[in-house]
Amino acid sequence: MSALVSDVGIRTAVAASGLVKVYGKGDTAVRALDGVSVEFQAGRFTAIMGPSGSGKSTLMHCLAGLDNVDGGGVHIGGTEITSLGDKDLTKLRRDRIGFVFQAFNLLPTLTAEANILLGLELAGRKPDRQWFDTIVDVLGLRDRLKHKPTELSGGQQQRVACARALVSKPDVVFADEPTGNLDSRSGAEVLDFLRMSVRKLGQTVIMVTHDPVAASYADRVVLMADGHLAGEIDSPTADSVLSALKHLGA
Amino acid sequence: MLRTIIAGLRARTARLVLSSVAIALGVAFVTGTLVLGDAMNASMRDEFAKSARGVDVSVYLSGGGGDVKGITPETLEKVRQAPGVAGADARAFQQVPLIATNGKAKPAFAVPLAATEELREYDLADGRYPSGVDEIAADVRTAETAKLSIGKTVTLLGKDDQKREYTLVGTYKQGVGEVSMSGNDHLVLTPEAYTAFNPERLPYQVVAVAADGFTQQQVADNVRKALGSDIYTVQTGEQLTEDTLRQVSSQSAQFTTFLLAFAAISLVVAAMVIYNTFTILVAQRTRELALMRCVGASRKQVFRGVLAEALVMGLAASVIGLLGGLGVSALLQKVIGGFGGGADAPVRVPVTATTVLVAFAVGVVVTVLAAVLPARKATRVAPVAALRSQLDSSEEVSRTGKLRVLFAVLLGVGGAGTILMGMRMEGEEAPMFVSGAGTMLLLAAVLVLGPLLVGPVNRVLGALPRALFGVPAKLASANAGRNPKRTAATTAALMIGVTVVAMVTVVANSAKETANAQVDQRLPADYTVTSSVYDRPLPVALAEQLAAVPEVAKVAPTTQLMGDRGYFTGVSKDALGDLFRPTVESGALGDLREGTIALNAGYAEEQGLAVGSTTTVKTGNGSQELKVVALISGQRLADGVVTLETSAKLDPVSDGYDSIMVKLEPGVANGRAAVEKITDASPLAVIDSAAETKAQLNEQLDKVLAFVWALIGLAVVIALFGIANTLTLSVLERTRESALLRALGLTKGQLRLMLVVESILMALMGAAIGLVLGVGFGWVITKALSSDTLELAVTIPFGQIGVMLAAAVVAAVLAAALPARRAARTSVVAGMAEA
Repeated sequence: MSALVSDVGIRTAVAASGLVKVYGKGDTAVRALDGVSVEFQAGRFTAIMGPSGSGKSTLMHCLAGLDNVDGGGVHIGGTEITSLGDKDLTKLRRDRIGFVFQAFNLLPTLTAEANILLGLELAGRKPDRQWFDTIVDVLGLRDRLKHKPTELSGGQQQRVACARALVSKPDVVFADEPTGNLDSRSGAEVLDFLRMSVRKLGQTVIMVTHDPVAASYADRVVLMADGHLAGEIDSPTADSVLSALKHLGA
Repeated sequence: MLRTIIAGLRARTARLVLSSVAIALGVAFVTGTLVLGDAMNASMRDEFAKSARGVDVSVYLSGGGGDVKGITPETLEKVRQAPGVAGADARAFQQVPLIATNGKAKPAFAVPLAATEELREYDLADGRYPSGVDEIAADVRTAETAKLSIGKTVTLLGKDDQKREYTLVGTYKQGVGEVSMSGNDHLVLTPEAYTAFNPERLPYQVVAVAADGFTQQQVADNVRKALGSDIYTVQTGEQLTEDTLRQVSSQSAQFTTFLLAFAAISLVVAAMVIYNTFTILVAQRTRELALMRCVGASRKQVFRGVLAEALVMGLAASVIGLLGGLGVSALLQKVIGGFGGGADAPVRVPVTATTVLVAFAVGVVVTVLAAVLPARKATRVAPVAALRSQLDSSEEVSRTGKLRVLFAVLLGVGGAGTILMGMRMEGEEAPMFVSGAGTMLLLAAVLVLGPLLVGPVNRVLGALPRALFGVPAKLASANAGRNPKRTAATTAALMIGVTVVAMVTVVANSAKETANAQVDQRLPADYTVTSSVYDRPLPVALAEQLAAVPEVAKVAPTTQLMGDRGYFTGVSKDALGDLFRPTVESGALGDLREGTIALNAGYAEEQGLAVGSTTTVKTGNGSQELKVVALISGQRLADGVVTLETSAKLDPVSDGYDSIMVKLEPGVANGRAAVEKITDASPLAVIDSAAETKAQLNEQLDKVLAFVWALIGLAVVIALFGIANTLTLSVLERTRESALLRALGLTKGQLRLMLVVESILMALMGAAIGLVLGVGFGWVITKALSSDTLELAVTIPFGQIGVMLAAAVVAAVLAAALPARRAARTSVVAGMAEA
């Protein structure tokens, strides 16, 4: 299995094999992930979809090294991460992964600019000023850099989060319901940007969502149900995703 | 509503525990103090009762007895002969030098053995009481320290330094009386041996036992009739007991008041911790409170809900505090017992209804009062807040109004004005109290201004950790400054404690330095030889022997005169301006010769005397009219100075010197040994050098300072609980934020470091402002204490301040330990899921 991964490692950003995650013990044990094997190609925008409780968020947490697994393995850019300790995982996250969460993405005590550069600072890396300017301009955050999060709208906050996720040029960006708290216009802006960062800037984005419209921005949709993979859709549209979900019984 | 409150308490137990500890500590201090006061009272009552036990009638010499100097044997006989008197004994005491194993005399008190058994103030421990003139009994403690055992010889130093030997026949335990309280050695002689020691010294009291069938009052009346003179105060035993106990109570009440002042500081600090806790809790529960309002709870119900929580907490804390207080009291008794040498005294823990009531009143009232403001804030939560998705407890951030500044300025101006007023006042106590009140107003001004100070102070203090630890410290600094009101309230508690500590330390050190400087001035000689026993002058021959030692350049003996209006020093004329050199205010010290006197400037003012006027000095043995030739100051001298010749005329009876100042030849290496060769032979002579006197003085002051540090230490401990508390609550509040930081790449270690630095910053903020205020206040108080005659030099103890800052940092690290552990343990995913 690991031979296979390293074979295609150049084009595979993230890979999971036989991933198992169990919550609870004994009778009340729930297998949130029950042998999930899936690969995510570099330079593509993938959405993970599924009804509530399908295990999509758990999958993302395990892929990103935020949660430990009970079985199987995860590779990020060729590194097996399930055997890493907390310190190495933390380093991996700050060096090679970008995050955009649904809410509470920013530290209220820091300005937008400090929030964007936080990950780099933690890693002790100097920001690539040109790259920083590009991202800030694309996201239209130039005149918001000195503002604190409380002075920003929800959409602006999520765009700052996107900028932070991308500024370190990570191997992969994980987005967990990035538009869940936004109105449709702000949501569309954020999704447009994520898609653009993949197509124009060559980033890899993995997004968890339950919104078919959001999923339709991706290149590929991975469907989940009851801790298992339940299908894939390439070049999805809102309609094709919706019907696939209906099929799952969501 | 009740069910909601109980559920709320249960859910928030952990968060309330730390603040309960703060209140419990405060209550423990108060109850500990009260119990200690009661215990001291009870133990003193018991002990003092021994001096009044068995006494049915007591006869004292009243004041104004004219020439009568004590109770004569005839008087004693009259009392004995009075109808209804079964037995009577004279009570007396005198200082007798006891020769210790090293051949040196040390002061001990001797009392005559009462013939009537019921009238003895002591209980036989071992052996028997003396029955012959060459027998003696010793207090058990004296026997122990002087290494005396029954059958051994005890040597006392009689008049004219002749040694008298006695055989120890028994040991006894004494009760507490004016004599034994002094902690001196104590001996019992037969009345004959006692009188032989100093026949001129008469007893001060006669105590008598009533015969069967007589009441105390009857016997007292009979005795009064038998004495037939109104120069005696005749009391019944009951009256005597009452009188004695009244004195005792007022003494221990003073001590209790002193302790209660510190307990009050602890409580103020604890109240601030409680206030802060509830403010944070209310802020964190905005959504919950709003939901309750949504489902129909009235403002009043919300208010009462928060207060009820405080009430329960106060009750619980009071119970714990009360129990803790008993422990504190027992501990303090051990400590004090250790100081006073009464280590064998039993530890008592009397619990009175007052103590219990005060404990609950203080604990509950302080807690509930501290929760009133936060509870009011809770009522202002609008129901709509429940619907807002983002819970933001950055309550009232930085909205610090003009009103606050105005109020602070008013307090500041008032404080400064009061201080200035105090500084201009005359005397010692009044200016200190007025200036002290002024400093407290200034402290209040700084407390009010607190939230405005947090920002700048945090920026300054945060610079170093930011440079040292990078991002975690930067985040910590931002966190410490994010909610200025909360940070200010948290640090204020510590600030108060540190202010008081620093103030006391500065004043104590200034006093110490001043005292040391005075010792230098007072002991210009290399050595001063004094008598180890009060009232026992050094023999004149000693001065001559010392002068004959080749290493000694000069000796200057002094005498001491007790006048009717002050006490005076006699100095040899050739010592003036050399070994004896006070500051001359006016007149000339050179004019001091027979028939003249130099007066202490302060005394002269008191008596309305000036250079040129005459004053009559009268001692027990003589009197003379003296012309004032100089006013002197600067030395802690007697009220006036005369020459040795004048002194001898004023008191021809006593011969010998109070002290002998010794100046060595320049360059003498082993002067002390040379002086010792002479003084070793004399049992009374003790060598003092300026250095030794200073060391002794400093030791005493340091002990007092350590005691105050320990007392105020509790307030500081409570304040640190406050920091730990705030930090814990903040960590809970920031669970998601911590999870986000962890997700973004903050290691567990860095997260812990962040919280530790935040804790250190808060502690340093409190400590730094407290130190600045405390040192300033210490300066003010020291200046206020200074007067024309006693100039106190302000000394800032940088070493001790450094220790305090270091302690603050260490304590802050400890305070952050638990919250940091907790924050680091929370898994990222769990943290992200937290609402």
